[in-house]
Amino acid sequence: MSRNALRTPPTRRQLRQRQAILSVLPVIVVLLAIRAYPIVTAAAKSLTNWNGLFTSDFVGLANYVRLLKGAVFWKLVRNNFVLLLNVPIQVFLGLVVAVLLHERVWGWRFFRSLYYIPQIISAVIIGYLFRTLFSMDGPVNIVAGRLGLMPIPLEWLGDTATALGVIVFCLVWSSLGWMAIVFMGGLSAIPDSVFEAARIDGAGFWRRTFQVAVPMLARVLEYAVMLSVVWTFTGLFPFIFSLTRGGPGYETTTLDYMIYIKSFVSGVNLGEACAIAVLLLVIILALTVVEMKATSAVEDWSE
Amino acid sequence: MRKSLKVFVLLALVIGLLLAVTGCAKKEPKKLTVWVPARDAYIGPDEQKKAQEEWYISQAFRRFEKANPGVTVELVAQSDAAASHQLFKAAAVAGNAPDVGVLWSGQYIFGIKDAIRPIDDLVPKADLEGLVGWETVREDFKPDGKILGYGAYAVTLCFMFYNKDLVQKAGLDFEANPPRTMAEFDAALEKIKKTGVLPMVFDESFPWFNLQVAVYWWYQLSGPDRIIKDCLGEEKFSEDKGLLAMLDYYHALWKKGYVNRDAATSTDYWAKFLQGKAAMTAGISTTLTEALAALGDKNVGVIAPPDMDPNSPYATGRVVGGTGGAVVVSKNSKNPELAVKLISFLCSKPESLELLKHQTFVPIRKDITPAEMGYAPGSVQEKVFTYKDNYIYFVDNILTPGVVDEYYKLVPLVLVGKMTPLDFAKAMDAKAAELKK
Amino acid sequence: MSRIRDTAGKLVIFLVQCAIALSFLYPLYFMAINSLKSRPGYYTNPFALPRAPLQFVNFGAMVSQFKILMLFRNTFIICAATLTLLILLGVVASYAFAKLRFRWSQAVYLAIVITLFIPAQVTMIPMYVLFARAGLVDTYWGVVLAYLAQFIPEVVMLMTAYFRSIPNEIIEASEIDGCGYWQVIRHVIVPTGRAAVFLTIIFYFIVMWNDLFIPMVLLRKMDMRTVMVALAGLIARYTGDPPYQFAGLLLSAIPALLVYVVFQQYIIKGLTAGAIK
Repeated sequence: MSRNALRTPPTRRQLRQRQAILSVLPVIVVLLAIRAYPIVTAAAKSLTNWNGLFTSDFVGLANYVRLLKGAVFWKLVRNNFVLLLNVPIQVFLGLVVAVLLHERVWGWRFFRSLYYIPQIISAVIIGYLFRTLFSMDGPVNIVAGRLGLMPIPLEWLGDTATALGVIVFCLVWSSLGWMAIVFMGGLSAIPDSVFEAARIDGAGFWRRTFQVAVPMLARVLEYAVMLSVVWTFTGLFPFIFSLTRGGPGYETTTLDYMIYIKSFVSGVNLGEACAIAVLLLVIILALTVVEMKATSAVEDWSE
Repeated sequence: MRKSLKVFVLLALVIGLLLAVTGCAKKEPKKLTVWVPARDAYIGPDEQKKAQEEWYISQAFRRFEKANPGVTVELVAQSDAAASHQLFKAAAVAGNAPDVGVLWSGQYIFGIKDAIRPIDDLVPKADLEGLVGWETVREDFKPDGKILGYGAYAVTLCFMFYNKDLVQKAGLDFEANPPRTMAEFDAALEKIKKTGVLPMVFDESFPWFNLQVAVYWWYQLSGPDRIIKDCLGEEKFSEDKGLLAMLDYYHALWKKGYVNRDAATSTDYWAKFLQGKAAMTAGISTTLTEALAALGDKNVGVIAPPDMDPNSPYATGRVVGGTGGAVVVSKNSKNPELAVKLISFLCSKPESLELLKHQTFVPIRKDITPAEMGYAPGSVQEKVFTYKDNYIYFVDNILTPGVVDEYYKLVPLVLVGKMTPLDFAKAMDAKAAELKK
Repeated sequence: MSRIRDTAGKLVIFLVQCAIALSFLYPLYFMAINSLKSRPGYYTNPFALPRAPLQFVNFGAMVSQFKILMLFRNTFIICAATLTLLILLGVVASYAFAKLRFRWSQAVYLAIVITLFIPAQVTMIPMYVLFARAGLVDTYWGVVLAYLAQFIPEVVMLMTAYFRSIPNEIIEASEIDGCGYWQVIRHVIVPTGRAAVFLTIIFYFIVMWNDLFIPMVLLRKMDMRTVMVALAGLIARYTGDPPYQFAGLLLSAIPALLVYVVFQQYIIKGLTAGAIK
């Protein structure tokens, strides 16, 4: 600080400015160092054949070309997008549950607390549980066998389609409570008069709910869907780790799980792992942009 | 404002100081950190449920500390042995790799040799002459290559374990008449299946059976040189008839119902075998102890895999095995001489004999006899011991890094028919081509 | 304010809710009953209730051999340190965004929010190397910093929203009374916005307690591992002992569940409020 600044007292506004900047500075420093700078490094390393130790020769876009030409990468993308199915299922079921809870039938608070419990339990536990439940001699097969639903027991986690299905089921089971509570929040903001009016108009219970409530829940829906989609690309690691380890082969491996494999399990070319990371980031940003455009279109329409 | 600025600066300094202090925790001068896999090495299957301090290896370290006052040895058990190579590498970058690491020999340590300190200058001559396994730890398998570590604590041998009761019920006697050809083997499996018992149980989510038994057939048909050339891209996996034949048979085992249907994802194969729900499985010498405990001393037998080519120039009548492990010293170790001293101590005769009380294995010391190991004549342990001069070195330790990882990931798909052997071989070729320098 | 007036309808809804509750609780019940069985007992019949003798030894082994209490302690240390820093940095930064108008505040806020979209896996490798060179790998501080960077954007978003609703008059009044920067925060912002602080503590404690990836990569030392990392290692072993593993998983779920049961109102309020925004 110069002597001049000391002599004339700073204005209130300047004071505020300085305080504000210093207040946000720690956050910015932390984020720059640990979130922003590593992305730059990852992007830089993705253009090399870095082996994690001391070899790091520039190879240009070779990693990207190999990834995009190979079959495995597209399998990973397919897996991520198939797992996105968990979002509409969650939204639909979450809405139903929210509506039921919204009726405030006796004990609803208790049920609401209960339905959130899967979110309190670690994905490691949930993944392991579901793996056990769906194993070859596990409860699901036993029950299905006794009910006569399946002639021979299914190897749920051995077949691509059923394995992905089990994962989707697991994701929905785990997040349904959260979805319901979020929707309940939105529902409580809708005045009863709206529903009354619909009832008077002769609309049945379900019609009332879906045709009346859904448009009014647009913002909440947008929020929930956005978060769930991003989560499907970034938060599935512990589930995949405990359910299938990405197997069999690469059948249930997602992009973010592959980054883990390529860097911490078989780290021959970490440049390639970084390339996958960069591509993942691009996909997430692209999806977010698409979502924002879609929701602004919907908002324009509903206004 | 000046006051709050001061507070800020102070806070920043404090946090910075805390970080610095905890971040730069200095190691005591004479401390050795040792990484050991949580099983299949120095820590035996029966020790899992015991407290860490009661493990053989902890007590061995205490004995070493006693003999070398002023030294402390810290044990770190690695739950994922396959990943520990990467971790070792990553730690080396950080400069804090452990002094001693128990890893896998052959290509596994060649791939991370930048992180390892060669110990040619520190190994006592007595060890060079009295222990086996040196060829698996010399750089690139060259006889004069740099010594990257000790061939780890034991010669591991892989077999097929069988439940004597269940096999006898099928009218077979594997001791008097072990199946030596593929036809005999198929016939035996069929007989067992007819009695309503599951002939073999696997967990190929990590392809143990393939690596412990099936690769023997590949080796027998193609030979080690061909295998290495495939990995280096000089020859093609997809033209390697031995590999394709082995994979065809591997898949046939499953297709004919000789193997549990969920072999590609199952994780309780060992429990099933121990409960007597399957007649056979693959295993290694160290797990024999647990099998004997669960099924009874008289009820467990071992047989070597049958020969796919009885006239093979490469190997006949053998098993897969060798010093699959390697005990290495990291480049950033501050006490390499002490580290080597510790390893040598662990390989000494008294320690080897002590370890034998906890696990069944073939020692790497040339001077221990079965009698000294307490193996009764005619016992299954003694039979295991007879294979010690009769093994082929682990094929997956010959496969190059990157290629071997792809092998692990994809071979279970071949077992259950989700990938044809040819497609698998092509995928391996692609990987080899990618890594070709 | 129910829209379904008749008792029959209410009964139906109640029953449906019960059915849903059962489907949520069954897996946990399954884990609980099987943690008390022996390994062969479990394989014989995974559905049956455990038969005497109940294998409390599984839980005992978890404490004495698996050292689950030590793992609890490690996880707790990390949570406490991270939460402290999260609150400290979060409150201060959110106060600035909410109340201190400054140039570029919107741009900076947006920049912070954008980092939300960066998955941990993307930055993990370079971050690992960075931490390695700084000697932060295998230390609690490394994990704390990684979590701090991961969660601070959301915390700032949450707190800014709450602080915005604090009436300016109260702040101005306190300043007239002679409160400087820190006093305003201590006497006005935090007390009035304490819902946000509580919510942060409760919610992120649970998230960090349950987290796997960051501590798995950054903190490998045996006696410094977190609960979930250790359990993940346990379940990865190929010769499993499911009752033993179930016991461990159950035990590890207890602290988070306890926090939830006691503080659930805050979480639910926070979730519903966040949705309406």
